[in-house]
Amino acid sequence: MAVNTELVVAGVIVGVALLLAWRTRRGAAGARPTLRPLPAYDELTTLAARALEAGRVVVVSVGRAALGRQATPTSVSALTVLRRAALDGCATGTPPAVTVGEATLLPAAQDELRWAFQAVGRAAHFSLAQVEFVAAGQDGLAYAAGVSQTLPREAAASCVVVGRYGPELVLITEAAARAQAELIVGVDEPAALAVAAAASSQPLLAEEMLAAGAYLDGRPSQIASLQTQDVLRWLVALGLMGLALFQLAQG
Amino acid sequence: MPSRTWGCLLLNSIYDNSEMSWRRRVPLIVAWLAGAASLVGLLFAPALAQLLLGWVSFLAAVTLLLGLLNLLAVHSRRALRGNFYSLVLLAGAVIVLALAVTDSLGLTAGGVATVFQVIQAPLEAALAALLAFLLVFAAMRLWRRRRDLNTYLFLGVVLFLLVASLPLPAAWQAWLEPGRALIQKVTVTAGVRGLLIGVALGAVTISLRLLAGVERPYDSQDSWQT
Repeated sequence: MAVNTELVVAGVIVGVALLLAWRTRRGAAGARPTLRPLPAYDELTTLAARALEAGRVVVVSVGRAALGRQATPTSVSALTVLRRAALDGCATGTPPAVTVGEATLLPAAQDELRWAFQAVGRAAHFSLAQVEFVAAGQDGLAYAAGVSQTLPREAAASCVVVGRYGPELVLITEAAARAQAELIVGVDEPAALAVAAAASSQPLLAEEMLAAGAYLDGRPSQIASLQTQDVLRWLVALGLMGLALFQLAQG
Repeated sequence: MPSRTWGCLLLNSIYDNSEMSWRRRVPLIVAWLAGAASLVGLLFAPALAQLLLGWVSFLAAVTLLLGLLNLLAVHSRRALRGNFYSLVLLAGAVIVLALAVTDSLGLTAGGVATVFQVIQAPLEAALAALLAFLLVFAAMRLWRRRRDLNTYLFLGVVLFLLVASLPLPAAWQAWLEPGRALIQKVTVTAGVRGLLIGVALGAVTISLRLLAGVERPYDSQDSWQT
């Protein structure tokens, strides 16, 4: 019997959506799981206060993954991190300097910053130019070079680098080290993971970065996402083991 | 009182807060319908998916124009304050734009391509060549900052792979090759696949929340006023 791939995919999506909805309802009803500690997120919530003490700013780079394409979830997570950094920064009067490496991220990042100013009652202080478009998405080296120049120019106290990057990430991490800026790195590309692991003491690797919403906002739907991922991970692991055993048995 | 229409029933089952104002609900319903249409289009109606992707591409092109305007605005301000590099950037932007126009009018031939070949490509190649050295510096900095098992493992593997990649005598290479193959083809591949599966699962759940309109920017105003 022929298998209709589209129907199978649709079935999987509906199944995952129902699981997510069920978990969200349970979370909204009060079931709160304990999340494993990720020190980078704790550190992120203190950056603005330390920047204020030092009289410097936080630089946030949200990467170069286009919204509306495959890496959209990566950029959505990066924007979640930006939202938190912007909210803390605007509340303490030290709004972050924001750089984007993809055109579709520009209005989204500007909206996050505008919202943060509005949330703390300082909407008049917002300017569109507070978010800087550095280079177009496919030009990773130009973007990294641009961000590495932003760090000394803005006298960065901290540098938050989240989103999609390649090995050119090392240009930014080295600039942060030279500027003696604290570094928080969250990436999902295998080529950038090694750089992140070497450059940052508390990197957010792969799915840890995608969990930004659950750690920073902590709404039931975001925590339900993590629980759903755990279930899916078990299913994938069992599926892989089953396939391996099946192939072994087939010789 | 939340509506009990079919769409809102689904939305309310996913939403954290069922009490939504209409100001939030309308963009949510539009987002949800667009998400559902994209999904159905990608799976069952390629023509619909193509139409939606065309709209997305158009919007992306508009944002690129916004990006250019942002770039010019930011660097004009800096150039006026005397920043030489911003001045160079502005001059470069004007020259490339002018060349693009003259190319399209047929006054010049391949002007933009020449600029890219002569200036941008060599500069990027030089930067790319620097990456290897910067990576070694990053590894050394890691060793100074943190000396634990993970660091020694990381540096040990880096050193081993660097040595194994050298043009060594054939006998040495034959001795090192199995280790290099084991690291690159088994350990690294398995690790990368594990990470990618984790990323894919995370992406699936975030995408579903985006399609359902539970993520930003649709949740912005009401629930986040501080």
